[in-house]
Amino acid sequence: MSGWTRFAAIVRKDLVRELRTRDMLLSMTLFVLLAMVVFHFAFSAREEADLTYYTGGMLWVIFILAMLLGLNRSFAAEREERCLDGLLLCPVDRVTIFWAKTAGNLIFLLAIQAVAIPIFTLLFVERSYLGDLPLFIAVVLLADLGICALGTLLATISMQTRSRDLLLPIVFLPLIVPVLIAATAATTLIFAEEAGLHDLLARLLFLLGFDAVFLVAAWGTYDFVIGE
Amino acid sequence: MSVEEGAKFVAAAYAVILAVLIAYSIWGARRMSALQRDLDLLEKEARRRAQAGEAREEES
Amino acid sequence: MKRLATAAGLFVMAGVCLVAGLLLAFWYAPIDASSMGFSQKIFYYHAPIAETALVAFGVAFVAAIAYLRTRHARWDRLGYVSVRLGLLFSLLVMVTGMIWGKAAWGVWWAWEPRLTTFLLVCLLYSAYFVLRSVVDDEDRRGALAAVFAILAFVDVPITFFATRFLPEGLHPVVLRAGDAGMEGSMLLSFLVSMLGMTLLLAALIRRDLVIEEVRERIADLKTTIGG
Repeated sequence: MSGWTRFAAIVRKDLVRELRTRDMLLSMTLFVLLAMVVFHFAFSAREEADLTYYTGGMLWVIFILAMLLGLNRSFAAEREERCLDGLLLCPVDRVTIFWAKTAGNLIFLLAIQAVAIPIFTLLFVERSYLGDLPLFIAVVLLADLGICALGTLLATISMQTRSRDLLLPIVFLPLIVPVLIAATAATTLIFAEEAGLHDLLARLLFLLGFDAVFLVAAWGTYDFVIGE
Repeated sequence: MSVEEGAKFVAAAYAVILAVLIAYSIWGARRMSALQRDLDLLEKEARRRAQAGEAREEES
Repeated sequence: MKRLATAAGLFVMAGVCLVAGLLLAFWYAPIDASSMGFSQKIFYYHAPIAETALVAFGVAFVAAIAYLRTRHARWDRLGYVSVRLGLLFSLLVMVTGMIWGKAAWGVWWAWEPRLTTFLLVCLLYSAYFVLRSVVDDEDRRGALAAVFAILAFVDVPITFFATRFLPEGLHPVVLRAGDAGMEGSMLLSFLVSMLGMTLLLAALIRRDLVIEEVRERIADLKTTIGG
């Protein structure tokens, strides 16, 4: 079995399991929508508050928090069904598990965002950014990659500890801050103003760099993380 | 900001630094001597038991 | 015990450099011409402590890689000790940075790149200790902590770089002296203090390592005697 076949097999397994129950997808989507409403109330102290320049931040905070929930859930399911042990028994290169899990998480996140972003736009964004759509998609993809890669790596770590899902936010949030900063800045630019490629380029390159660094780091360390 | 006012802040900063570093060094030194005492006691005990074990073996 | 003697020697050298640096800072280097004035003198310890904290985390990074390759417990001990000292120094950076900020800008806190980065650094490396405390198996603990130390160290420069993306707000971006090149006398004072802090770090690492080793030896003895 080639590496690619194993990779595809693991991704398919996770997707099929999720599509069968739709646990995670539904819960995460609901959470995201609820969070948007909560944010509105959190910022409603002043009448007619103009949230335009906060939209980027709100969006990414919501997705990061949703991802924390989702990661905990997907790894908890693994534990319950002892899938991970099964995976480790077969002759799969450990890192393939990482790529597969990250890809699976990325697909889930994109699926949720496909629903959530239009609704978010309806609720909070006044400017039509259809003209900047390609750039926006680029920002979303690059930020998502960083979130999923780092999240998968850290979830693998935290699931092996006594405090399981309690540890994940503590280790994840400080490390994801750069992505939050860059994605927020880029997204706010798109939502609030006419954003040209020039303005966004620095942020996009930064996100790209972040993704590259942590993908390499994960590739180098996942073997040690997943253990015996 | 005049030199006098500035000096208060500067003094505070350096005082904090020195206080923390000295406190940490002293804490470490006390920890070290307590641990050293424990270690000596335990090693003596370990040796004693080893000798007692040998003595018993010779008898039997 | 020989190790403690080296530590003591390092302590003495560090003390000499630090006192010398202090004297140079106050009696040799001129008062800063910028609006910060006298409060700039905080810089001569504040910046060395910041750099030393990062050095400590760098040591932990190297120790983590060494541990993952060799699985020798002493690399794990070195990592643990270095991170703890790095955290201690980082807290000092924040405190002195806040005092300096109050003196220079009149506010105790500002979300400027360095303070923000070190706040994150403190939170990040605190998580390192939380992680260690919730893993029961020794080998797993060492491995997971090592991976985290690697990720954390890689993240620090990235975070610092990212904070410069943030809008500047009310406060100047730089809490730094002599951005336009430090005068010779300022530079000397800074370098001497820098050397002193680094020596101090080395001394503390040595001593703390001995403490950890003795602790483990005691634990081992307890199990053999008790069993």
